Amino acid sequence: MEASIGRRSSPTRLKWRKVAYGGMQPGFEDNHTDESFLEDMIMNASVVKRDLLKVMLDSVSISQYVCIVALVVLVWTYTLRSTFNENSLMLLDVILLGAGFFVFLLTAEMLSFDLLLSYVLKIFFFITGLYVLSPIYHTLTRSISSDSIWALTASLLVLHLFLHNYSGSTVKAPGALENPTFTSNISLNASIVASLLIASRLPSRLHVFAIVLFSLQIFLFAPLVSYCIKKCSFRLHLCFSFGLMAATLLFVYRLHGLLFVLLLGVLVFVNLVGPYWLIRIQEYKFEINGPWDEAKLCFNITE
Amino acid sequence: MSKKMRNQEKHRILMVSDFFYPNFGGVENHIYYLSQCLIKIGHKVVVMTHAYQNRSGVRYMTGGLKVYYVPWKPFLMQNTLPTFYGTLPIIRTILIREKISLVHGHQAFSTLCHEALMHARTMGYKVVFTDHSLYGFGDVGSIHMNKVLQFTLADVTQAICVSHTSKENTVLRSGLPPEKVFVIPNAVDTAMFKPASERLSNREIVIVVISRLVYRKGADLLVEVIPEVCRLHSNVRFIIGGDGPKRVRLEEMREKHSLQDRVDMLGAVPHAKVQSVLITGHIFLNSSLTEAFCIAILEAASCGLLTVSTRVGGVPEVLPDDMIVLAEPDPNDMVQAITKALHILPQIDPQAMHTRMKTLYSWHDVARRTEIVYDRALRCSSQNLLERLSRYLPCGAWAGKLFCLVMIIDFLFWHLLQLWQPDRDIEVVPDIHLTNHRRGETSQDFSIDDNLR
Repeated sequence: MEASIGRRSSPTRLKWRKVAYGGMQPGFEDNHTDESFLEDMIMNASVVKRDLLKVMLDSVSISQYVCIVALVVLVWTYTLRSTFNENSLMLLDVILLGAGFFVFLLTAEMLSFDLLLSYVLKIFFFITGLYVLSPIYHTLTRSISSDSIWALTASLLVLHLFLHNYSGSTVKAPGALENPTFTSNISLNASIVASLLIASRLPSRLHVFAIVLFSLQIFLFAPLVSYCIKKCSFRLHLCFSFGLMAATLLFVYRLHGLLFVLLLGVLVFVNLVGPYWLIRIQEYKFEINGPWDEAKLCFNITE
Repeated sequence: MSKKMRNQEKHRILMVSDFFYPNFGGVENHIYYLSQCLIKIGHKVVVMTHAYQNRSGVRYMTGGLKVYYVPWKPFLMQNTLPTFYGTLPIIRTILIREKISLVHGHQAFSTLCHEALMHARTMGYKVVFTDHSLYGFGDVGSIHMNKVLQFTLADVTQAICVSHTSKENTVLRSGLPPEKVFVIPNAVDTAMFKPASERLSNREIVIVVISRLVYRKGADLLVEVIPEVCRLHSNVRFIIGGDGPKRVRLEEMREKHSLQDRVDMLGAVPHAKVQSVLITGHIFLNSSLTEAFCIAILEAASCGLLTVSTRVGGVPEVLPDDMIVLAEPDPNDMVQAITKALHILPQIDPQAMHTRMKTLYSWHDVARRTEIVYDRALRCSSQNLLERLSRYLPCGAWAGKLFCLVMIIDFLFWHLLQLWQPDRDIEVVPDIHLTNHRRGETSQDFSIDDNLR
């Protein structure tokens, strides 16, 4: 009773409303900050809580691809030193092509004879094209010094690894939903240019053809094959990756001690240090959403 | 407060922005109308912007509004090239020549505004900043823009936002204390936006859309909504004014559903003709995906149209609930809102709406409230360089130190300029008062006082 008398004796103060019309609200200044200030703000709405083990298992894809690239560089080194001759390279190419195709056929869901025939035809045209163009690659960098070639190749490979799309495959597998992104296209181009640069340093045209075919097979189709393996069974993917890592470490150890230490360091960083660090700094993530956000259209714009 | 004291509190304001006449838009109109109303109250206002094609140098606009079109060409989306210290000499010259007491910058996206505010703070002037837009937090462009805003607003005297949602957004982006931010909305020129003298017949309902046809303004929503509305209601026609990259999609929609006789596309509508297009309609449709404050809705309401709009940003605060129908930015929801609007339409009286708008929004009210902000700003204490630098340090581990470095170099450059071209060598502009016949003695008093000074 007394409270209401008290309210009646003081001038009736209207409640502050969150409106812009009607001029200054009586009894309130323009910089009045109400208790309802920022009450519609939503923080960290779409942040995913990550589990350390899952992140480590996911990072195995990255180290698997790093090992594949390391093996490719190994083959290039042996070829440049003439440890491998062109016949063994051709044999390697055929084995890889066969193995990759075999894995793809085993794990592919939609198979039809027409699809298979189209793939075989495309591969045949691809190989023929490479063979026809190999004389051009042979003399491509005659006038450039070797140091520039090694430096350029190294930087292109680093760029390739940085921008690579580790979650999918740039070459679209049938049934894959994502389109290739801009950075994955750049990384693919970098790897192709690097392999052409290395190929141009080789003695004969058959060498060039063999090494270009080998490099392109790996860079274009290895992500596709590993994507198929991962889709088929996760345990198979883990076994394949660990086996590959062990084999790579062994071969690099036999080549050069320092490179072995470097590769080991990279693998440890990617698999162990990286996930731990990511989860540590996730605490600082601050995502802000509220009525000021641009509205998202709920339908797709079909041009 | 006696009249004499009020006379002495007249301010001399410099408005700075990249966006001004001959461009037409929200920010441009805001600066123009605010300046005109401040001049009517008795303050002196000078505007500074960049040169537009051949329009360079000093121009005078209505009411003696002096505009400096500084000869810097725009380089990206009407913004001048951001050279950090390049604008210091010209800004110093303008501030001294016009005896400015306060600098008012507009729009976070304007590089000239940021530079002018930085130099004005270095030279010890009080600054006020008005933010007209909403920005996100997540993408690369917004992150950089917010950092620049944090730099400018670390040392601003007062800030103004055009709606409460915009105030929340600005406070989050810049880290300003909320008490420093005033909410003063835009207004509409009700004398120009009058409803049609005769009421339109209700046989055929005309829905008007006037906006730039870009993604941000929801042109894609229009493409989904218009065919559905035309299908549901056979007596509805659309008039679409405006141009942009999405115009092609609207033309395609028109062809696909054979709506040539029910959808008119007018192309770009010049600002002077907007009122004549609006008064041909009953309902105004706004489908923007983000708006800090939508002036187009005010113009439509002033012409007596019922508004249907998406519920985004500051739009819910703009009009009372009986003058606007809000919908989520979803095609189905918008079609339902249009249906509801069609049912409410018979109860709407355009003249009554226009009269009501005159009481709800007025530029004179905006100018009065802005004057209060200016008074508040000028009463704040001046600070020396060290105290101001301490405000920049909390901006970030690296950014704070970088900002301090920028301000120190600005300070040194200013002193160098003072040695090279001392203040007393810069000629001061005499005050020219246009005699205002409507006001009679009041303006005469002001001019006598000024001549005596």
